[in-house]
Parts: sequence; structure tokens; C-alpha cells
Amino acid sequence: MLFFRSEELVKDWCRARGVEPRPIVSIPQLWGLATEWYSTRLAPNARRPGPAEMREIFARLGLTDSFWDPQADTFGA
Amino acid sequence: MEQQTTDFDTRVKLAVYRHFAQTGQRPASAEIAAHVGADADQVREAFGRLRANRVLFLEPDGETIRMAPPFSGVPTQHRVIVGKREYVANCAWDAFGILAALHEPGTVISACAQSGERLELPVGPDGPPPSEWVFHCLVPASRWWADLVFT
Repeated sequence: MLFFRSEELVKDWCRARGVEPRPIVSIPQLWGLATEWYSTRLAPNARRPGPAEMREIFARLGLTDSFWDPQADTFGA
Repeated sequence: MEQQTTDFDTRVKLAVYRHFAQTGQRPASAEIAAHVGADADQVREAFGRLRANRVLFLEPDGETIRMAPPFSGVPTQHRVIVGKREYVANCAWDAFGILAALHEPGTVISACAQSGERLELPVGPDGPPPSEWVFHCLVPASRWWADLVFT
């Protein structure tokens, strides 16, 4: 889970490793993921989101590709 | 008995997270034992249950904390500065996650994985400013926990 200066540099990085680029996440989307996942992490009742909740979070942020499905067994190889 | 174990594990988890939040460093199991008033074996057992519940990620010795997401117990390329404190994040997502967990503004310091260009991004209470930087994850969500260090 890495930062890149641009989408073009993601493609260069993937090409150098012989892998297909995955869906690109913008900085505002990443901040949305961070707050959804971690804003209650220091509270006594904090917990990781379950699969259904993960799908809802990803969908709210516009991340709907099967790459983001926590229970998909068909993505990539 | 089960409820007592759950309560104890919650106390251990909170002690671990508060230590990371206050110091930026991972706590030793002995420090947690002293904090919660338990012996080292009880804390090691709690760490094991928290590992099984995907709350902590431990080193092979079964008691040294490698990750308490979003905090990292070991150096990485992703750092977060909050006031005079410095934190280490497990990944780009967790770098933002540390600020989200602390509810404090700070600066994310990292680098482009391809070019090496330095990223220094101030993050306010409402998040980061507009940026052309992007985030990319190679591992699909269904496999994140299978190899957390690589992910």
C-alpha cells in the first residue's frame, strides 16, 4: 500500500514488476478510508469492519471494483 | 470467565494503543503487564488472542508487537509527525490512519514508490489538501490479512 507521485508512475512501477495496475485511489478517497477504518481505533469498543461493512465503506468512497471485495476469490492471480 | 477474558483483552489492547499514541513506540509486554496489573504470561496469552482476532500482528517470538494498525512497531518509509512526536505507519493508508486515530493535525512524510520523490503532506482536521499524489495497493482486499507485511 504505497504512495505514488502520479498514475503514470504507478504504471511504470507495475510494468517493472510484470504486474497489472490495480485501481487507483485518490488522496481524498484515501483520507476517507483512513477515517472510516481508524477514527475510533483508540476507543474501548473499537473493532475492525466486517466484510459487509467493508463493502459499504468502499462503495461510499466510489471503490466498487471487485478488487475491493473482501470475500472475492476470483480477483487476480 | 469468557467475559472476564474479553474485558482483560480490551484492557491490554487499550494499553497497547495508548502507549503507541503517547510515545510513537511499541510497548514491551512487560510494560503492558505492569500497566494492567497482570503477569507477563497473562499478557502474552492476551497478545495471542488479539493476534487471532486480527487486532495485533506479532513477531515470530509471539510477544513482540510488529503492528497495532495503524501503528508500526518497526521502521518503514511512512512517517507521521504530530507536534514533537513521531510515529511510524505500516503503509500509506495507515499514515493517514494514525492522524485519523489521534484526531490531531500532523504531517505525513513518505516517498513515491517509483521515483523516490519525497512526499510531505500537511493534514488538517478535515484531511489533506488537494494533491495529485495517488495511492496504489497491489494486493486485493480478500488477501490483505494473508500476508500483512507484504500488503
